[in-house]
Amino acid sequence: MTGDARGWRIALVPDSLVNPPRDASTRQPDVMRVLDSHAYGLLQLPPVGEHRLLLAVIADQIGEYAHHGYAVVAIGIMDQPECGLHWRSLAPLLRHRGIALPPRHRVRLGLEAELESQRLAAFLADYDIPVEEQRRWRG
Amino acid sequence: MVPPAPSKVALIAHCLLNQNAKVCEGARYPGVVSPVVDALRSRGYELLQLPCPELAFAGTRRWWAVYEQYDTPAYRAHCRRLAQAIAPRIDAHLRAGAEVILIGLDGSPSTGVRFTSSKPDWGGRPNRPQDDWDIVPGRGVWIEELEAELARRGLPPVPATGWALDMGRCDETGASRDLAEFLDRRERVARPDGDDPVSP
Repeated sequence: MTGDARGWRIALVPDSLVNPPRDASTRQPDVMRVLDSHAYGLLQLPPVGEHRLLLAVIADQIGEYAHHGYAVVAIGIMDQPECGLHWRSLAPLLRHRGIALPPRHRVRLGLEAELESQRLAAFLADYDIPVEEQRRWRG
Repeated sequence: MVPPAPSKVALIAHCLLNQNAKVCEGARYPGVVSPVVDALRSRGYELLQLPCPELAFAGTRRWWAVYEQYDTPAYRAHCRRLAQAIAPRIDAHLRAGAEVILIGLDGSPSTGVRFTSSKPDWGGRPNRPQDDWDIVPGRGVWIEELEAELARRGLPPVPATGWALDMGRCDETGASRDLAEFLDRRERVARPDGDDPVSP
């Protein structure tokens, strides 16, 4: 793919990690910054609530990536319902589309933000699809 | 007690947070288009990522296309489905009094705001020479359908601009300047008592 800069990596990210609370006292890592520095794009998940059609649309997109050589991971939040990932709704939608559930990392809020950033960075750096699949799709 | 400032929400084209959605050879960044994100975050905007209509319709390995090729009943129906999926979130923000703006992708056949791509004779064997399409003023098909869905819900038009990623060449400096000017105008509109009021 000449002249194309895509990173072939995508993270599912809860809304509250894309849009951290404006309350400066809440300590949490800048997840988008860490993802960007590891060449990840992101798929933003909606906040808690009923989002049936939107989750189906998101599952369609995850399926397209997962079936064509992209590494897909999920970044959840420790101790939040379904890690903020709508997992109870999303997992069956992914299975129905023949997609293996992406590996999950859980960010811990309220701890040392820099340490959490490092944990996330280590998770991202460690994961990719098998080399033969990378060769098949990424050229 | 001072009431909290109303929230500011930027509807943002999918690929501005995820360049993997771009058509082959169209990705200019590995993942996030950070100049856009930085400009919005520094002005206090929350981000609301729109779905990518082309990826979900024609896949990651789709051919390049122009407006006329996506201007079909089936693609418009697909865009309406996506609009119906995301519109409730936009609706909730607008009804809560948030300032909502839209950042599309200028030059895109789907997500263009100020400009889209056009070449009425494109079709058949995909052997067009590079860059022989035209950039013309106008919305892309997805933005047309999204705005129509918001109007069907009785919502006001959302101020919009585009990041000039699909204009045939990538001019990050110019695109950043355009975006900053748009955001600065929004600031002045939101604060009409300021020193330099302008029309929306």
